[in-house]
Amino acid sequence: MPIGVKVVERPVEQTSYMRATLGGMKRTIKHMFEQKVTTQYPEEKESISKRWRGTHRMLTTEDGKAKCVACGLCPSVCPANCIKLVPGEDEQGNRYPLVFEIDEFRCIFCGYCQEVCPEEAIHVGRHYENAEYSREGFVYDLERLMAQTHPVCELWDPADPKGE
Amino acid sequence: MADAKMVNLTIEGRAVSAPEGTMILEAAKLAGVLVPHYCYHPGLPVAGVCRMCLVEVEKSHKLAPSCATAVAEGQVVHVHSEKAIEARKGVLEMLLINHPLDCPICDQAGECELQDYTYQEGRGEGRYRDPKRFNPVEDFGGDVMYVANRCILCTRCVRFMEDVAKEPVLAVIERGDRALIGKFEGEDLTHPWAGNVIDLCPVGALLSKDSLNKARAWELDRSASVCPGCSQGCNMIVETRDNQVMRLRPRPNDAVNQYFMCDHGRLDYRWMNRRDRVEQPMVMSGGSLAATDWDIALRAAATLLRGKRAHVLASPNLSNEALFLLATLVEKTGGRGTFRVNQGEEAPLAGVDDLALRADRAANVRGAEMAGFTRSDTPLSGLQAGDVLIVADEELAGVDASDVAHAGAVIVIGTTLPSWARHAAAVVLPIANCVEEEGTFTNLRGRVQRFMQAKAAPGLARPSFFAVGDLLAAMGEGKGYWTAAEAFAALAASHEEFAGMSYDTLALKGTMTAGATAGAR
Repeated sequence: MPIGVKVVERPVEQTSYMRATLGGMKRTIKHMFEQKVTTQYPEEKESISKRWRGTHRMLTTEDGKAKCVACGLCPSVCPANCIKLVPGEDEQGNRYPLVFEIDEFRCIFCGYCQEVCPEEAIHVGRHYENAEYSREGFVYDLERLMAQTHPVCELWDPADPKGE
Repeated sequence: MADAKMVNLTIEGRAVSAPEGTMILEAAKLAGVLVPHYCYHPGLPVAGVCRMCLVEVEKSHKLAPSCATAVAEGQVVHVHSEKAIEARKGVLEMLLINHPLDCPICDQAGECELQDYTYQEGRGEGRYRDPKRFNPVEDFGGDVMYVANRCILCTRCVRFMEDVAKEPVLAVIERGDRALIGKFEGEDLTHPWAGNVIDLCPVGALLSKDSLNKARAWELDRSASVCPGCSQGCNMIVETRDNQVMRLRPRPNDAVNQYFMCDHGRLDYRWMNRRDRVEQPMVMSGGSLAATDWDIALRAAATLLRGKRAHVLASPNLSNEALFLLATLVEKTGGRGTFRVNQGEEAPLAGVDDLALRADRAANVRGAEMAGFTRSDTPLSGLQAGDVLIVADEELAGVDASDVAHAGAVIVIGTTLPSWARHAAAVVLPIANCVEEEGTFTNLRGRVQRFMQAKAAPGLARPSFFAVGDLLAAMGEGKGYWTAAEAFAALAASHEEFAGMSYDTLALKGTMTAGATAGAR
């Protein structure tokens, strides 16, 4: 020891790793018998709130047409300006959406579109897996919105404010 | 009006004085109070059938229909008192018994008076539980479609056809809760002014087939304008969405068109949205037109005009500003100016004095005449060899390149480039059309009226007064004008017919030119 460091001898019970290892094992074994909290995503999925607001879905009538009548309320109420709607007329002279597109990147998932819809056509969905290979894939057109099958959001219910 | 006896009364706590014989509803407007109403319309005779305008008049034992009750000295009127609101709530509930709640698919939604007043003072919920009456949609002919279910039987359309158009075609048929509006046997709503029933209808019962399902009322941007369809100069509102004109509607002006507009003017808007426009100034080089800058094109045009006489063929749809600047150009070069007017059939609206769809189907015939242009059916006949022909916003239908071949050069100042000009034009200057720029028209009675810009011009196109002003500047005359107001001020300063006028004094209703006031609307 050229600079004369003083080495203090410690008792073996203080320097042995056995003690700490056993302490760790004890914690591990204790957790083996406790309830598991980790969800094994994606094999297992977390249940989400009934009021979850995810990517949209367009509901259809019995004959497979979109319920939307192109009234124009959702593009007007949308605070993010993410809905594009061009109204048109079908063979029976009914109003229907020629173009209905939602840019899910611009959407802030406020749920106003669902709330304002007088026909209960557009809904925000209880859904969160939205990965795409391209940015363009996030502009959902009418066909895509109608093809979605996930459950839809049940908006805030004044009779049940805590959603219980 | 000045010699009428004035009556003082109180409406909603506000002191109002109105000429004797005024109805309470109109007097309330003077006080800034809107009494809800359906059957009443200022342009139609009073019917008093809707019972919506009931108001409480103190010391009167029952509620009074304000559209049919004249003002009286010392009257105290309550429009929003509990009793009056209760009565109107009842009326609304009754109207809604059979009115479908199909606002999402109704074209009137957003500008529907039933919707407005129901939100304002109607009940939150109906109490009637039986099924609603149903009638099929009917095509009334012309541009009009009748959705019987939505009709509230205010009879405005019936009264318009009977008392204003004087060609009764509509009537209330059936009685009681089956009542609806029907056409006379074998007749159609083909009167040239019949489209007005669409505007008059307070709900979505009478709809325009042309604008059906095209745009929602709240998406439209509105600009005050003047109809370019004929020389009558009806005031109108241009409604646009995304830089496209969606529909035209009349703008009230008692001195010209009251509340009305003919179908020709109303439906003739598609050319305003034309896509085949000239978007860049062009000069002829090597046998074809090449796009260039404004500066270069203006200089090229000025060079062509140097020392030459200009034969200006102007469109009578150009604004006064542009026409007078073109007239300056004619004067400066010692040339001549001509114009040609498309003709159509005259169609008067019988119930309104001096209102018609005029035979001259151009807005500014009078303005062009006042600017010194000569009206001619063969506007090119005076063209002499070597003259520079300036064609301003005129397509010259039926003309081909050989007709203009003996001109020294051709300068096109226009919105579109007709096929004859592809090889004949030396310089092309793109300009905005009349809904893309500001300006004034002078109607056939000499009324100068402003129109505002409603949409953006395509590409590098410039307002016509701006383009012609710059062309004059390039020729060494003046410095051009930045705004239409400046151009008009210069015009007013140099022409005595327009003396004292400015955009501020013209406002939205227009002013008669000096010497044209006698008796004419």
